[in-house]
Amino acid sequence: MTELDDIDGLAAEYVLGTLSREERAEAAARKETDPEFARAVQAWERRLGPLSETLAPVQPPPGLYNKIRAQIGLASHVVSLKAREQAIVRRGNRWRSMAAGMTALAASLAGVVGWQDYQRRQMPTQYVAVLQADKALPAFLLTVDTQSNMFVISAMQKPPEAEKSYQLWLVHDDMPNPKSLGVFDDSEMDVRPMTPPGKMHDMMMDGTYAVSVEPKGGSPTGAPTGPVVFSGRLVKATP
Amino acid sequence: MQSSRETLDQLLDGVARGDEAAFAELYQVTSAKLYSVALRILRNSEAAEDVVQDSYFKVWERARDFDPRIAAPITWMAAIVRNRALDEVRRRAARPQADVAELDNIESDDEHPVEVLGRREDVERLRRCLEGLEAEKRQMVQLAYLHGLSREALASRFGHPEGTIKTWLRRSLAQLKGCLEQ
Repeated sequence: MTELDDIDGLAAEYVLGTLSREERAEAAARKETDPEFARAVQAWERRLGPLSETLAPVQPPPGLYNKIRAQIGLASHVVSLKAREQAIVRRGNRWRSMAAGMTALAASLAGVVGWQDYQRRQMPTQYVAVLQADKALPAFLLTVDTQSNMFVISAMQKPPEAEKSYQLWLVHDDMPNPKSLGVFDDSEMDVRPMTPPGKMHDMMMDGTYAVSVEPKGGSPTGAPTGPVVFSGRLVKATP
Repeated sequence: MQSSRETLDQLLDGVARGDEAAFAELYQVTSAKLYSVALRILRNSEAAEDVVQDSYFKVWERARDFDPRIAAPITWMAAIVRNRALDEVRRRAARPQADVAELDNIESDDEHPVEVLGRREDVERLRRCLEGLEAEKRQMVQLAYLHGLSREALASRFGHPEGTIKTWLRRSLAQLKGCLEQ
């Protein structure tokens, strides 16, 4: 089997992201001074980069773009439709590809990312649910990766009060009661194998995920007792 | 990324010349993907927002350094976001670990058909090569790359010493490299 030499091995792990804080800092400094190492890093970014492209998009909060403009020193503005139309006319030879970009944007905004027929015929490898309160920052991100068969729950926020916990539930018309999928007290990640094909699997794919605020450690009754603060459903995602 | 590479090349070219409209378009077509990258690694929506903000600032400042012969635009941008997100996540205190026992239950997905998408050649090639890794090692690579787990975190999740994890990761990466170069 191919072996990686020291430089290539370090570059590979730097890009993979598995180095400690100190090792990362050293590697980042080396990248600036050692062209051979910098080339090795670029080669690994090319090799592994397509993995990022398999991720389902998540819309950032609406105010982010203006924060970026402010940081750059540009006046805060909203790109008006008129300005966009003028831009399209100005770059007439680019308008088709840009329109494709806009279609993709609209599709991702709608939560439906598949946009070409041949893609729709293929089973996507990822489903994602973003659980959030209305227009607020995402609080939970659920990912079903059919390639690796993983169900990943990422909790992004702490419960509002220290003596409370968040509890994640699956709600489905075919189930008399919500099913608990875990109690979360902090931003944390939980990886579990996806339920094998069957009734439960189907309910997980088309049910609603809801997060309630419960006493520390989870609901004492086995059913949600507190208010539901975030909810969402899985949507298909394609690279 | 749904946008064609040519579109992004042109937009980055515009950004390098200080074209604000190009920057706006670039943000519109790439931000959901990049936010998703940061969100998974940081597991905190506010921190992810900060990292994405800093990253676009850097894209604006350094778009002229972008060389389409070296990287695809989305790869270049995602690398900026990932590096910032990884630095930030390492800077923060060690995060709580999920139940190691849960991972012991992860089945080999050999019993389930693995679906392959054929939209992008390089995505599909990497997928095929990942499938060549043993299930546990493939999970390690994905958890590290997409979710930002360090060697230390992988060691605790998979119940092996860090040295073993390092050896496995480097072997898996060597195997991937060999497969991708075929």
